[in-house]
Amino acid sequence: MNALSPAADAGTPTPPRAIPVRLTVNGAPAEVLVPPRTQLAEILRDRLDLTATHLACEQGVCGACTVMVDGRPVRSCLTFAADCDGAEVETLEGWQGDALMEKLRAAFARNHALQCGFCTPGMLATARDLVARLDSDDETRIRNELSGNLCRCTGYVGIVAAIREVISERDAAGIAPSGRALPALHAAAGFAPFEPAAAPAMAEAAAAPAGETTVEDGWSVVRRHVAVAHPPSAVWAHFADLPSVVRCLPGAELAETDGTRFAGHVAVRFGPITARFEGEGRFETDAAARSGSVRGTGKDRGGQSNVTGGLDFAVAQGASPEASDVDVALRFRIEGRLGQFNRPELVSGLVDHLLGEFVQNCNAVLDGGTVRDSGGLSVWSLLRALAGGLFRRR
Amino acid sequence: MKPAAFEHLRPDTADAVAGLLSPEAKVIAGGQSLGPMLNLRLARPARLVGLGAVASLRDIREENGMIVLGAAVSHARIEDGDSPVALPPMLRHVARGIAYRAVRNRGTIGGSLAHADPAADWIAALTALGAQIVLRSAAGTDRRVAMPGFVQGAYRTALGPDEIIAAVEVPAAMRDALWGYDKLCRKVGEFADAIGAVALHPASGHVRLVSGATGAGPLVLAEAGADLARSARHPGSPALRDALAAALPGTDPVKLRLLATALSRAIAKVLPA
Repeated sequence: MNALSPAADAGTPTPPRAIPVRLTVNGAPAEVLVPPRTQLAEILRDRLDLTATHLACEQGVCGACTVMVDGRPVRSCLTFAADCDGAEVETLEGWQGDALMEKLRAAFARNHALQCGFCTPGMLATARDLVARLDSDDETRIRNELSGNLCRCTGYVGIVAAIREVISERDAAGIAPSGRALPALHAAAGFAPFEPAAAPAMAEAAAAPAGETTVEDGWSVVRRHVAVAHPPSAVWAHFADLPSVVRCLPGAELAETDGTRFAGHVAVRFGPITARFEGEGRFETDAAARSGSVRGTGKDRGGQSNVTGGLDFAVAQGASPEASDVDVALRFRIEGRLGQFNRPELVSGLVDHLLGEFVQNCNAVLDGGTVRDSGGLSVWSLLRALAGGLFRRR
Repeated sequence: MKPAAFEHLRPDTADAVAGLLSPEAKVIAGGQSLGPMLNLRLARPARLVGLGAVASLRDIREENGMIVLGAAVSHARIEDGDSPVALPPMLRHVARGIAYRAVRNRGTIGGSLAHADPAADWIAALTALGAQIVLRSAAGTDRRVAMPGFVQGAYRTALGPDEIIAAVEVPAAMRDALWGYDKLCRKVGEFADAIGAVALHPASGHVRLVSGATGAGPLVLAEAGADLARSARHPGSPALRDALAAALPGTDPVKLRLLATALSRAIAKVLPA
């Protein structure tokens, strides 16, 4: 670290240097100096003043930003600067003298294939690819291929009609399609019964804990029934103590607690996703029923997501006196970007993974061992040493 | 909306890519799954290590009875059969059904596997075809992991911290496989709610019946698959639903029905119902 750098002193990383990107846009060479996180769409719009390319969802779904790169339609919102170096880009401003694009423009006008025009630049990029590539004007195929370009006003009837007309014009002009047909599918013909080869030994996927995941009134609810190989009294002593529970939750740290109210954070790493939810809540227990609850809210500033939720748990006698059954019900609602991303599997997969680690850690602690790679361990030890008995519930 | 700042390195060998990995780095191939997460700032790596400059990862070849697809081969090239060696028809048809052409032009087979989205096509289809994944470490050594063991759960794989996917190997015999593939999506090109995949190769005794988009890794129904080979009869949707319910306790009944329907339709492409 350079001691003279104030950024280094402040602990904030210096932003990566801008990189030069040389590309050819609509036949003309261009060079820009941009930060690596710049999307191709931003290079076109903000640096080269080519604003026909539109940005909407910025997650590859809507198709408004579709442009041609090296002769193929791509999402310019999902193409970052370094990957554009040397690229040949064609935007709606280009295509000068391109026979198929001229036919498409006329056909779009003839068929009223646009109204507000927001989706049109992306539609025309996709349509230009379709009229060059498809081997027929089959409507189902065209509609399937257009599923990656959303139109929210005039609809697809005129767009599909325009593309079909241009494919017919192309065929009439004797121009061959560029696409390659898929191998033919055969009708189901059956087969003679045969003895399967012994399946190669493969690791059984870790069995998911028994339970269910449902959506109730907009809340995701995950219920899990977990068997723990320790008597209920020991398990209860563990669950009734908030710090010991937090210690077993991967990435969780308590900042402060009086035993009931608490504040802290959970750092989550899951696949490519990282989030750090900071929040506060209440922890309540009912020793007679050996049940308890955690209620709280958390906010991830970097990802601009909020989570509200609660965890209910109950410890009961297991199959033997030396075993317990723990019922866990997690009820939560995620808002903001993580919610907007709208992949329920992602969230339930994450919760399952966390619960799995949590149960493993609880077992390890009850066995008299320590938690594996808990990021909160050292801070926890410190807090424990400082605060002494304050954290322990009576 | 811009992603959080990152530096973007594009080394020109696979070993160098693996050598640049760290907890703060993410490998980016086509970026069609990671890109949205970056744009939404759900993922905030300090460094991207791109595969775009590694030409060898775009090779397709055949050796030792295996079709070897480099990790950075795009879905569109598989769809088009743009390869010096013939590709199994199942691969080409599955590729056509992935997202949208603009996404297929950049998205890669290795990227999809490494991302391990539970609803993705390749993890299910390659499990049915008995593929194995070649993992390259920073030291330049390779190890092979068979599907389905490679996918360990939603977004979790067997990849070690200093490993990247170098290639996917599909047995060449799978060119002649009897196969069926079906997926149910709310909208064409969206992530699937259910996937059914089956591949049979009677001459070698290969049978794999796979349920995908379960919310976790692809599920191999070993017993139902063996029954299918021995009986050569479509088991019917209710029997498939029972097999799925036994393998996935606690699954929502609607989800079970979707999974059974996709499986039943996949099998019906090989055996009349």
